[in-house]
Amino acid sequence: MPSDLPPQVTRTREGRSATLLEAIAEALWEEMERDSRVFLMGEDIGAYGGAFKVTRGFQEHFGRSRVIDTPISEGGFTGAAAGAAHMGLRPVVEMQFMDFISPAYDVLTNYIATSLYRGAGPLPLVVRGPVGGGNRGGPFHSQNVEMAFFHTPGLKIVYPATPADAKGLLKSAIRDENPVIFEEHKGLYRAPHCRELLHGEDHLVPLGEARTALEGEDLTIVTYGLMVHRCLEAAAELARDRVRVEVIDLRTLLPMDEDAIVASVTKTGKLLIVHEDTRTGGIAGEIAIRINERAFEWLDGPILRVTAIDSPVPFSGELEDYFLPSVADVVTAGRYLVRY
Amino acid sequence: MPGEAAALSREVVRDLIYQGFQARFLEAGADIGPGVDARAVVMARAMRSSSDGTGDVCFPGPLSPGALLALGATPLEYLRQLARKGTAPAAARTGGRNWTDLRRGLIGWDGPSGTMTQVLAGAAVAFAQRGQDRAALVFEEAAAVETGGWHEGMNFAAAQAAPLIVVLDEAGARRGARGDGHDVESIARAHGVACAAVADEPFAEVFATMAAARRRAVRGRGPTLVALLPADVAEPWAAHDAFVARAVEASEVAQSEVRAIERAASAAVSHALARLGREPAADPRDALVPVCTHDLPLPPWTRRTAPDPGWRGAAEPQDVQDAL
Repeated sequence: MPSDLPPQVTRTREGRSATLLEAIAEALWEEMERDSRVFLMGEDIGAYGGAFKVTRGFQEHFGRSRVIDTPISEGGFTGAAAGAAHMGLRPVVEMQFMDFISPAYDVLTNYIATSLYRGAGPLPLVVRGPVGGGNRGGPFHSQNVEMAFFHTPGLKIVYPATPADAKGLLKSAIRDENPVIFEEHKGLYRAPHCRELLHGEDHLVPLGEARTALEGEDLTIVTYGLMVHRCLEAAAELARDRVRVEVIDLRTLLPMDEDAIVASVTKTGKLLIVHEDTRTGGIAGEIAIRINERAFEWLDGPILRVTAIDSPVPFSGELEDYFLPSVADVVTAGRYLVRY
Repeated sequence: MPGEAAALSREVVRDLIYQGFQARFLEAGADIGPGVDARAVVMARAMRSSSDGTGDVCFPGPLSPGALLALGATPLEYLRQLARKGTAPAAARTGGRNWTDLRRGLIGWDGPSGTMTQVLAGAAVAFAQRGQDRAALVFEEAAAVETGGWHEGMNFAAAQAAPLIVVLDEAGARRGARGDGHDVESIARAHGVACAAVADEPFAEVFATMAAARRRAVRGRGPTLVALLPADVAEPWAAHDAFVARAVEASEVAQSEVRAIERAASAAVSHALARLGREPAADPRDALVPVCTHDLPLPPWTRRTAPDPGWRGAAEPQDVQDAL
């Protein structure tokens, strides 16, 4: 093995467990080695290696033309990614923080998402970056952006919870023919509790397939991202009350694995949806109406949701802790539903 | 004029007469824009076109058939798109000139101004990355420079020394997008890119200006910003006609041949119009189902009919099925 490989991309080769950040780096590295059409664009991703060092060492290995340090212009370089994708390349755009995707909203929703519709063919590109709160980053470095794009036909949205999924999903996203928004919770980037062994280069996790993170009979919790781990903690606590919780990790939000949710709800009769994103217009509302359409007769209680409150993400630690959904919130809602 | 140059000249002028005639016919009564203007036909003609996806690429601007035709589109395709026919390039899902054929290097759009400079900058970066002899050409109305998106695209292209040529239709200023003109040279200087201008020059000079910008681009010397200045006449179509007339005069194309080319162009347009009426309207099943996010059809009661109990299918509990 060449000794000059950056350490964040050698975990699988060395048989060591990886963090979610290392899994992302490995996926990017492997896809760039596999396919010369794959290239990276973003702010400070080359010489500096990225704000979170996901791409440290990439530019030295792959060169400046495949690891492009862009101007600070998210709209401009996302639009350029579309042009490169038209020409047969497979761009992977990094938003330094996903909060900064908003300047690219126009080109993502108007141009990129409509490409297939307009007869301009599919646009295979990935826009990835860190999301999520809990890091005291305040309102502009902590947002979850999925619902800003969920309503736009033509996009796919992926939000992994584990390193192995992150690697397999990102590789699938890069190989997909459609534009994919890929959210990475920075609270999971280096979280020691979710280190795991990764699969090899050929392992892909298909987009659009949910994962049963925990099997149970009494209550279904549908969630994704960092909240999967919060919900597993809550499930462990509820298990002490002899409540058997089933936790569904959506993994891909768009297209959503509706069948997996329906199958779980028809088994448990109770549904709790948990997301870190704010409440109004959150994905919980969409899941609730889909269950209402397809599995209303199986419900033995109301569909509930535990979410962030409808506020910008606070900067103060005390305020942010109040803002974010907690394990205790999930346990409380779970107990209410089970007793309903 | 040396033999090879003279042959090219005659070829370009023949194309200009043919495409210019069709463009003028197709846009009769419409306001003039980049691509309709005969100069834009010559500009697009200076690019390296192909029909197999290996040539230059062009965004012909939001108002233009001229550059589209110069790069291989046909009046029938153009009219199908305009008439929102099911056979249109975009299958009637979108109107105007918003269609794309990457094999012929055509990329269409009728959304926010400035976006296409971003997109074509990315196409140009792709060419440079792969060392291809290809360049990207984008026609923008003058008002594009008032958008942040245009400057972001131009800045990115300049930073990457991308093989991009941006034509700014300064004639568009008279449509009211801007009350006054602006200094394209200053804008080019601010972005660190080359600048050229096209006004009332003979067609050969317009062609040469674009050919030089293209050579510069593919040699890795970066983008060129080309100002397409208003011609010195009151009425834009008069400029179009005068440009074609001067081109014919300067070339060795005989008047009899001009008339023959115009007859052929007229016949092509007439054929397209006649055929258009017989072509089918759009069918939602053909046009929309393939581009929907979800494969499944929508539940019928979300549209206009009453709920269909059978729709619930496998998700139906037995007792409910019995009750129904």
